Amino acid sequence: MSATSECVEGGSRAPPAAKRHKSVRKNSRRIFSAYQDPQHSFSDDGGKEDEGVDSNDPEEMFQNIQFQKEIIANIRTRPWPMKRKLNVLKHAREIVLKYEGQLTRTRGYQTAGADLLKKLYRLLNNIVVIFIPWEVRIKKIESHFGSGVASYFIFLRWLFGINIVLTIMTGAFVVLPELLAGAPFGTTRSKTIPKEHLASAQDLDTIWSLGGYLQYSVLFYGYYGRVRKIGGAGYRLPLAYFLVGMAVFAYSFIILLRKMAKNSRLSLASASDENFTFCWRVFCAWDYLIGNPEAAECKGAAIVNNIREAIVEEQEKKKDTSLAVLISLRILANILVLLSLAGSIYIIYFVVDRSQKLEQEKAELTLWEKNEVSVVVSLITMIAPSAFELVAQLEMYHPRTSLRFQLARVLVLYLGNLYSLIIALLDKVNSMNSAHQGSSANWSDPISLLVSTSQSETHSLSTRMSKISAFEHHNITVATMTTALNVTSNNRGHSGSIYNQTAPFEKNARSQQDQCWETYVGQEMLKLSIIDMIFTVASILLIDFIRGLVVRYLSDCCCWDLESKFPEYGEFKIAENVLHLIYNQGMIWMGAFFSPCLPAFNVLKLIGLMYLRSWAVLTCNVPHQQVFRASRSNNFYLTMLLFMLFLCMLPTIFAIVKYRPSQHCGPFSMLIYYLQAIARSLKFTNNQLRMQLQTERTEDKKKVYQLAAARLQAPEAASETKPDQQESDLTSKEASIHSPSPRRNGSITNFQSPVLRGNSIHTITQSASRTKLTRGNVSGSVRSPVTILPKRRAEHIPNRIRPLTGAPSDTCRSKSCLHMACNSPAHCSHCIHSDPLYRKTLCSLHPVEASAIIAAKSYNERRGHTTRYMIVNEHKPRAKLLRSATRIPCHYLLEEPAEIMKLYPHNMRRYAAHSSHYQPHSYRPHTSQHLIKEGEEGNKNTKKNMLVKARRPQSLSDLRQQAQFYIGDHVESHRTRHRVREDDEKDSGKGETDWRDFDIPSPSQASVRAVDSPFGQSSHHVQSPSRRSPARSRHLGSHLKLNLRANVETPLTESDSASVASSSDQQNSSTDQYIQVIHNKERYLSSDASQEKLANRKSKTKADLNLESNDLICSNV
Amino acid sequence: MGNKQTTFTEEQLEAYQVTGVTRQLAPHLVPLDYTNNPDIKVPATLIVTMPELKENPFRDRIVETFSEDGQGNMSFTDFVDMFSALCEAAPRELKTIYAFKIYDFNRDSFICKEDLKKTLNKLTKGELTPEEVTLVCDKAVEEADLDGDGKLSFADFENMISKAPDFLR
Repeated sequence: MSATSECVEGGSRAPPAAKRHKSVRKNSRRIFSAYQDPQHSFSDDGGKEDEGVDSNDPEEMFQNIQFQKEIIANIRTRPWPMKRKLNVLKHAREIVLKYEGQLTRTRGYQTAGADLLKKLYRLLNNIVVIFIPWEVRIKKIESHFGSGVASYFIFLRWLFGINIVLTIMTGAFVVLPELLAGAPFGTTRSKTIPKEHLASAQDLDTIWSLGGYLQYSVLFYGYYGRVRKIGGAGYRLPLAYFLVGMAVFAYSFIILLRKMAKNSRLSLASASDENFTFCWRVFCAWDYLIGNPEAAECKGAAIVNNIREAIVEEQEKKKDTSLAVLISLRILANILVLLSLAGSIYIIYFVVDRSQKLEQEKAELTLWEKNEVSVVVSLITMIAPSAFELVAQLEMYHPRTSLRFQLARVLVLYLGNLYSLIIALLDKVNSMNSAHQGSSANWSDPISLLVSTSQSETHSLSTRMSKISAFEHHNITVATMTTALNVTSNNRGHSGSIYNQTAPFEKNARSQQDQCWETYVGQEMLKLSIIDMIFTVASILLIDFIRGLVVRYLSDCCCWDLESKFPEYGEFKIAENVLHLIYNQGMIWMGAFFSPCLPAFNVLKLIGLMYLRSWAVLTCNVPHQQVFRASRSNNFYLTMLLFMLFLCMLPTIFAIVKYRPSQHCGPFSMLIYYLQAIARSLKFTNNQLRMQLQTERTEDKKKVYQLAAARLQAPEAASETKPDQQESDLTSKEASIHSPSPRRNGSITNFQSPVLRGNSIHTITQSASRTKLTRGNVSGSVRSPVTILPKRRAEHIPNRIRPLTGAPSDTCRSKSCLHMACNSPAHCSHCIHSDPLYRKTLCSLHPVEASAIIAAKSYNERRGHTTRYMIVNEHKPRAKLLRSATRIPCHYLLEEPAEIMKLYPHNMRRYAAHSSHYQPHSYRPHTSQHLIKEGEEGNKNTKKNMLVKARRPQSLSDLRQQAQFYIGDHVESHRTRHRVREDDEKDSGKGETDWRDFDIPSPSQASVRAVDSPFGQSSHHVQSPSRRSPARSRHLGSHLKLNLRANVETPLTESDSASVASSSDQQNSSTDQYIQVIHNKERYLSSDASQEKLANRKSKTKADLNLESNDLICSNV
Repeated sequence: MGNKQTTFTEEQLEAYQVTGVTRQLAPHLVPLDYTNNPDIKVPATLIVTMPELKENPFRDRIVETFSEDGQGNMSFTDFVDMFSALCEAAPRELKTIYAFKIYDFNRDSFICKEDLKKTLNKLTKGELTPEEVTLVCDKAVEEADLDGDGKLSFADFENMISKAPDFLR
């Protein structure tokens, strides 16, 4: 009905010329109407009705107008001939115009405005079309080779767009600010080329390997300044850097998902299981975009092949023979593929490893050696797909299936390449870090001293003077073995060692500057990208172009047809090329964080690729035989890209999170320390509380043991120490393995140690001689500390990093030894008893101190257990020293999480087990509930850590120190602060100088630090007795008084120094950090105070609190 | 459109926006002065040689389908019509409809086996043996024929084509 009426209408309106074909049209119109859904015909009717209706009802009119508008909007989708479309459209427009004007005046204006807008929009559209890059080029390719090949270029263009956005993001927010407002080239250490490299910085060779000026440019992470705010407006570059790094991923994800969603909307119904193999082959086979005769021929041949295959397959469905052969063939093929995958991964890993070794062994590398990693990777990515293709022929899959297999394999290969590369790189970074740690362990300690001494001679002189005075003071108060002479000699030796150290220090600093692993990774990525580009170009030129030339011009003078037989023309393999694009993009994503200019480079690369590829395709390629059809609405590429993005993001994020940012380069040299410092400080306080708790628990146990087993344990302890030593040896071996560069450190240690050690040994020997009597075997073995030392040292030098690891067990035992010693000999007990007091004050308040004390103790322990005595005496003053010392240790704590951290957990766990074993809850009544909880938590954590041996900040105890470190480490503030600190220390501490002699010049910080861990326990143990048992402390009271006075005195000086230090800190370091630290401190303080109160020591609390607060401030500052 | 050799009135330009064709099409084929004589016909033999069509095995059918007289001689509206249906921006349904018409050689609004055979022969340029062609035709009809009448109606065709992963022209 509707069809005929329309027909009549159309006929009446159609110009006479059209009438001739009326019958034909009628016929076809019927067909049309059959296809039309009811809505269409209805709308037509409506349109006609409207014509007659001159309704006055505005509502109806409005609906009518809406209707017409709908028609106008949808007319494009109607399968009508153009003439009728035009008529209907004109008619509808007239109606709309006519009635709309009647409705309201504003509506009329609205429509006029809408028209104008539409025209503008059209104009804009036309302009935009002009600006779509490579549109014409792609169309041309499309017309020659069909949509499959074109889809590659469209994909390329889309990637290009993404990279443009990424480039703009990094360029505008990171690179430009750094260039404009950041410190100019050559102003800071991370932005200057080391002198020894300056000569070769402009060599082509260096530039090629991205060294020299390129390495210290905005290309790489290392160049970006660490200053929190740059420029007049206070642009936060590190923050921006981080955010942009994340935004790159976020944007990629969003744009990718959006595109996929859009595409999936376009191809909604295609997800069905139904298979119309033949229909599709017949109706959908032809690519309507093909316009090139050659391509058409290819396509035709391909279609014939396809159909034949389908037929064969259909026939094979009925009779499936030789299944066994086929299956075995396929298994074989898969094995081959797996083998080649594994081989490629192994080769990459091997090459990276080799390059690493070469770098270490040789000073000068050849061009090949420098680039072999990227060359090998690129070679593999080029060759392996062809190999896979060969293998795939073995399998005799259906072409479509085999294409899928091929794609999957190539994707896995690319991913495997990238992953093995990045893993190998990170591995290298790991070793770089540990090496770096070794060296830093060496010099980080002396840094403070060095800086102070080297910077101002006079200053150092004065400090020395003050030091001496402090020493004397200390000696008087302690009134024991160390003499003023000793001290001064120490001092002398110490200063001498410092001067000696300056040279190596600078060298180390230099070498360290080079080790910026982010830059290294960025370099590697950029290098890979460049080499990949070169290889692509080369392959296009060689494989496609030359081959094309040969085939075309030599086919006449050859006995077989070159064009159709062997060499043929190069095929354009869409799938592999697309995969290559994806791989390339994955590389960019992976390296973008470390090399902000990588997207920019990629933009250039894609542009070049676009032109080269399109040229090559048009001149010397023929389409792939088994055409991989990919329409624009196909999500296949995008899915792979998404997959790639995700997988590329993982290692980058992993590296960012797991590896500590390089200390001396890059925007996060401070920032992340800061974050870590906060986290660690929190954890450390927690841990500290727990430790205290445990010490208190074991305290009671100890008391019992002391009385009962004092005499028995002495021999036991001696025997026990031996296994411990063995342990430490083992650990030392481990340490040596871990630390790749022992030599450097070793040299330094060598010259330090003799002097210092000698001094310290003297003091130790005295104490040892006293304790000897009581200790029997232990002291006996230690009797001549000097003789023992060399031996020990031999061990320690290589160990440097963690000679103390073994110590944990020692400490437990040593604790018991100490106690025994205290009890049995009268004269010794005096000294020892006094110690606990000091320690208590220091330790309880200061987590840091504790560790420092630990360090001291363990240090002593190393030499033989005799030195403990010394330590005890010095505890008070050392607190400050410890602070300084601990500050430094933080360096490596940060740097070498894996190794050092372990120490703590070990100790803790052992200790925990110990305590719980013996006395589950001796202390609980005293401590507040939350403390206990914390302690338990800490326990759990440490245990867990122990078990897992995770590399994350396991060591709870580290955290605290970190905070200090962070503050102290600020490059500028670093020096001044250290100077101040030292002054303070010298002034305030009597034992400080002693301690410093010990500690600072000590062969390697690492050793000291390592010693720390075991010490925590021991010190605590020692300390706890006095604290725990009021009775005991009372009994000690008389002895304590002397010491107490000394304590009180020191606090005063300390507080002064502390204030100075704090003020200087404030100025130097950013306020945020400072505040942060203070926070921790306060919290800490309060908790400590509460604990103290609980401890019921009224007489001492005041002094202690005083001390504590001072200490805290000092340490924190 | 908007090409310099033809002159359109603004109105006509406006009207032809429905086609979705926004770029220039075969300027050498389109009559130079369309406004004066709108009824010019371009013979099918000429149309078929344009680069967009000359390699297409179905070019004759396409031209026939879109021409008003069914012989392939196209007026400008037909011409625009054709390319608006073939262009990228055309909706999928529209393409389906025209595709069906193209494949429906005998215009009985069904694709029967004869139509299929013709399609196949055009597509493969006669490279398949008659047995193969028959087999393929049988298979295709068997696959797509939902109502079991031995030929493909438009509904069958649409159902089949909408599930094709790469139906795009």
